[in-house]
Amino acid sequence: MQSHSIRQSPWLFGFIGAAVLFVATIIVSRGGGASATFHAAMAFSIFSVLVAISQMLVITSGPGNIDLSVPAVLTLCAYIGMGVMHGSNAWIPVGLLVVAAVGLLAGAFNYAAILLLRLPPIIATLASSFVFQSLAMNAGGDATIKPPSLLSAFTSLSVGPVSVLAVLVVLLTIGLAIGLKRSLFGRRLLATGQSEAAARFAGIRTRQVRLISYAGAGLFSGLAGFLLAGFTGGAALNMGDTYLMESIAVVVLGGTSVAGGQANAIGIWGSALFFNLLTIMLNSFRTPVGLRYLLTGAIIILIVTAATRPLTRT
Amino acid sequence: MIHSQVNPDAAEALRGLCIGLTRQALLAFTAIVAMPLAAEAADGPGTTSTTGKTIALSNSYNGNSFRQVMVKDWQNVTAQEIAAKTIKGATVVSANSSVTEQASQIQNMILQGYNGIAVLAASSSALNGVVKSACAQGITVVSFAGIVTASCAWQVNYDWSSYGKQEIEYIAKRLNGHGNILEIRGIAGDSTDKDISDGVHAAMTAYPGLKIVGTVYGQWTSTVAQKEVSGILPSLPQVDAVVTQGGDGYGAAIAFQNSNRKVPIIIMGNRQDELAWWKQEHDKNGYETFAISATPSISQISFWVTQQILAGKTVPKKVIVPLLRVDQTNLDAYLRTIPPGGVANPPYPKDLVVKIIDANTNHSAMPPVPPPAP
Repeated sequence: MQSHSIRQSPWLFGFIGAAVLFVATIIVSRGGGASATFHAAMAFSIFSVLVAISQMLVITSGPGNIDLSVPAVLTLCAYIGMGVMHGSNAWIPVGLLVVAAVGLLAGAFNYAAILLLRLPPIIATLASSFVFQSLAMNAGGDATIKPPSLLSAFTSLSVGPVSVLAVLVVLLTIGLAIGLKRSLFGRRLLATGQSEAAARFAGIRTRQVRLISYAGAGLFSGLAGFLLAGFTGGAALNMGDTYLMESIAVVVLGGTSVAGGQANAIGIWGSALFFNLLTIMLNSFRTPVGLRYLLTGAIIILIVTAATRPLTRT
Repeated sequence: MIHSQVNPDAAEALRGLCIGLTRQALLAFTAIVAMPLAAEAADGPGTTSTTGKTIALSNSYNGNSFRQVMVKDWQNVTAQEIAAKTIKGATVVSANSSVTEQASQIQNMILQGYNGIAVLAASSSALNGVVKSACAQGITVVSFAGIVTASCAWQVNYDWSSYGKQEIEYIAKRLNGHGNILEIRGIAGDSTDKDISDGVHAAMTAYPGLKIVGTVYGQWTSTVAQKEVSGILPSLPQVDAVVTQGGDGYGAAIAFQNSNRKVPIIIMGNRQDELAWWKQEHDKNGYETFAISATPSISQISFWVTQQILAGKTVPKKVIVPLLRVDQTNLDAYLRTIPPGGVANPPYPKDLVVKIIDANTNHSAMPPVPPPAP
């Protein structure tokens, strides 16, 4: 009975996996750091979740849609945001608005390249990621610009073991999950993702829907860059590097269909926690680095296979 | 040579022998006198004019801040020396981490007739072919930081194992040889990472009281180091010191501060955020550490080494260059010269590079990199 319900909700694998890893880590570290481990995993999952939301919006909009420019948009927005604020607390709202605008524009640029140049999304976003990365290089170049002190304080603010930013991102994720299910746009996005032709016949402006999903992806990537720069003390050219693979893996493990048309926002949290706890656990076990990569790869394949099997059968 | 002059005829032979002996003695004598003279003459800058020469830099990658500053340093020194008529021209071309791309760029430099090529190689072996063909055409090839193994090329590099050694020796002194160490490494599979880490482990054999309790890969990046250190901290006992590879010190410090643990001795690199954090903590509670690092200005060393070879100076095929070291005493002086978000990057003028070359030739002590004026 229980296994039946898990099979119907493959995204639960992320949460279950995260829980198992958490317990294993606590046992190995002799129960010393339960709260600290949880805190560390939560703190870094925030950024995994934000980039994964970007990726989810794009992937859901239909087969073949993917955004490889997530790390570049993240880096570009971090540089522009930090550059605009220049360490001044008063400029934080301006910085946030500029980052949002740049993120939206970057996403729109991606979709424009796909639509106007008729490029497959994988090529278009790969190419544009070079453009964005070069812009970031020119915007910031060789210097790390420090974030305003208030932004840094806010990103690492926590009440007890609970990070305030994490709570906000959890609320955002819940809002998004409800929005995808209930809102008009959410329905249109899922319909477009399932069959663009059918959606068009049903009167949905699918191009507009996909434009919004790409622009939204840019927005969330930008937001991730803005907050990550605040959390880690500044923008750096390679700050986005780890988030390309991670954004895709987290989304897929979180129960979103690679084929599009099926999104799962809540599942993202489970798989983000899972991935971050996996890193923590393998580090704590002092696994040699070669084995660490091997295990990470093997575990991803295992879980994704297990999690997606019911979908392919039905 | 001398014996070939001996005549088979007896009388002649005697005479020849006498001449031979005198010549031999004379040669031996001059050798004894001249040897130190010759060594003396090798010291100091090369004297042949390089006014008509051109030098190119082939850079394997330009996508991070270290490389960008490095290229800027190269452009600064070459612009200055072209204006001063030391050389006639210079250029810099960057490849995108691609060996084939870099090889074809070097091929172009050969065709364009550059006299010297400095190379920061994408691969230590894969560029050997094109490097050899450059050498065959009489071009001076100087590889630096990312070196090539072709025997005709010079290698300018840091002694990476001394990086790790200096870290452990400092920590052993501060902790009286006893304590727990967290090791932050660079990028798995990278040769520099391996060399530094090997230096750390080799140095640790002298201090059995020091123990490495955890290892993470920080990828020489503050954000990654912060994440990895935050993740491993809950499982670690008390950490007394952190060995790093530069660029990762600030992230490690933030991770410790966020975890509410006592911040251990963290060896810093040359980035402004690392040094500024150290100074801030020192002013607040007397925190002490030291910083060690490679500097992007190694491109200026490669420029002067190439120029000096073209100027006729005898330069050993392997030139080890000193790592930058910042101590408590010159921390303020360094911090004042670094723009916010930049790196400590002292220039390497010609005189200093010549001294570095001479120290390598004579196997004598490395000249220290002079700190900025206080």
